[in-house]
Amino acid sequence: MDQLTSIYHIVLAGDMGVVQEKVQAALTAGVTAEEILHKGLIAAMDEVGRLFELGEYYVPEMLISARAMQVALGILKPMLAETGVEPMGKVIIGTVKGDLHDIGKNLVGMMLEGAGFQINDLGSDVTAEQFVEAVQNGGDIVGLSALLTTTMPSMEATIKALDAAGLREQVKIIVGGAPVTPDYAQQIGADGYAADASRAVTLAKSLVK
Amino acid sequence: MNSRERVLRALNHQEPDRVPFDLGGTGLSSIHITAYNNLRRYLDMPKTQTRISHVAEQLAVVNEDLAVQLEVDVRPLMPGLSSKFEYVFRDEGAYEAYTDEWGIGWHKPNDGGFYYDMYQHPLADADTLEVFKNYPFPDPLDDGRFETLRSQAEGAAAKGKAVVLAGICAGITEVYSWLRGYEQFFIDLAINPEYVACMLDRLVEFKCAYWERALREIGDLVDVVIEADDLASQNALLMSPKTYRSLIKPHHQRLFSFIKDQDAVKVFYHSCGAIRPLIGDLIDMGIDILNPVQISAKDMDLRELKQEFGQDVVFWGGGVDTQGVFYSGTPDQVREDVKRNIEALAPGGGFVFAAVHNIQADVPPENILAMWKAWQEYGGYV
Repeated sequence: MDQLTSIYHIVLAGDMGVVQEKVQAALTAGVTAEEILHKGLIAAMDEVGRLFELGEYYVPEMLISARAMQVALGILKPMLAETGVEPMGKVIIGTVKGDLHDIGKNLVGMMLEGAGFQINDLGSDVTAEQFVEAVQNGGDIVGLSALLTTTMPSMEATIKALDAAGLREQVKIIVGGAPVTPDYAQQIGADGYAADASRAVTLAKSLVK
Repeated sequence: MNSRERVLRALNHQEPDRVPFDLGGTGLSSIHITAYNNLRRYLDMPKTQTRISHVAEQLAVVNEDLAVQLEVDVRPLMPGLSSKFEYVFRDEGAYEAYTDEWGIGWHKPNDGGFYYDMYQHPLADADTLEVFKNYPFPDPLDDGRFETLRSQAEGAAAKGKAVVLAGICAGITEVYSWLRGYEQFFIDLAINPEYVACMLDRLVEFKCAYWERALREIGDLVDVVIEADDLASQNALLMSPKTYRSLIKPHHQRLFSFIKDQDAVKVFYHSCGAIRPLIGDLIDMGIDILNPVQISAKDMDLRELKQEFGQDVVFWGGGVDTQGVFYSGTPDQVREDVKRNIEALAPGGGFVFAAVHNIQADVPPENILAMWKAWQEYGGYV
């Protein structure tokens, strides 16, 4: 099995223990960081997303794959920066004001990173002003997460704040979280809605084309 | 018939005179303090001291005057706090915080916060089995937990109400995930099964100690006991059925069997979300009641659930869609939703009406009243 295929399978299996040495071995053997990123990591995470949507992978499987991917990416990042490899896009994510739930948002961040996006994770209980400030520092997509019907209004408030700051046209806004629906996303003027982390990747890719 | 007879008929899959009604009978069919105070004002009820029954979720104790007015058929039995624990709230700038008896840190934003959420997990960095084995648990048998149970139970029984006894902690996987942090919990399910086995074992023992004493002391007065564990989210199980059956189910089995061995009580089991793939497993393990019956989750159509499982399990919940019309719709839309849900779940008994989970702060009192009126209008069997 060649080294790239080996790394692909290790990420798919979520084998955090061996991914570091395999990536180092591949680099030593002359495989480029960019090749490892695309054929080893992104390809594997794409398959993870597919298996999750199929109902074969669940949160535990997705998480260990994402963690293995993050270990590998940590090694590759400086090399990718050096050779001028650009991320697919920059995504600012956060759970909105009043809401402290973050695992869904974290999974979205990991899957987007696994697809080649650069993530600026603002955490949870994030005010509209904090989102505005983050966009002022650069971003292509803003991802808003809420778990509660009671905190969903903060999504609309954030979109309005970006509009008031003259930044609305600069970014695409996507929303998600258990109580969020496509209808709600449309009602508040978001650019898209995704039901889970894997579908968020598909959505984000479509928005940066 | 009185409330207790009504509830027992429903729990035994027989049709009573009307569908029993629950608001505040459990910590999973209750109401946020904000919505509660709004409701009392809306109904022009006398100003009275309103108290919190569950600190983290900020649930209200439903005062007896409202429970009577709304014809609630169920009364909760709440264990007291351990004498070794008290809530000590800390001012942490933008948050108010406390540490619970397990050592888990909870905090609530001062500005716009509705509940306390976890932010410190004492076993987040644990990386040897020894740490899990030796982590100090609270005392399940502290007298403070049991002191008022009999008087509460006798009070409820004297009023002819069904009596529902709560436990002293959340579900075994819930407590494990709260001690560990959610991400690490999911990773443990994938690659650290020995940690999972150790902790779920210890947590089952903890719960069994409580249930043994509680049911020995007041089992004669208790109709229903509550257990819980969130196994699913909006669209899917949180872990594969295979993972559930190998790592978690044996512990659930041990727990439910133990409870059933203590006394002839009905076991009320709560799991949020899209749990349909595991309902059969839960029924096989002996649970009697399923809650909250989250209509809005995937594959949780009430008619289908009633058809497939209605002979074997009681649905306690499912009354109105809390993720949908209940907070965002008109009273007429609430009425239509309730009518539809009662039509699906009521036939043949096996249904106790409650909102899907606790009524949240954003539910207008007009909608709560619309729900209640619709239950009055459509909840009769005769």
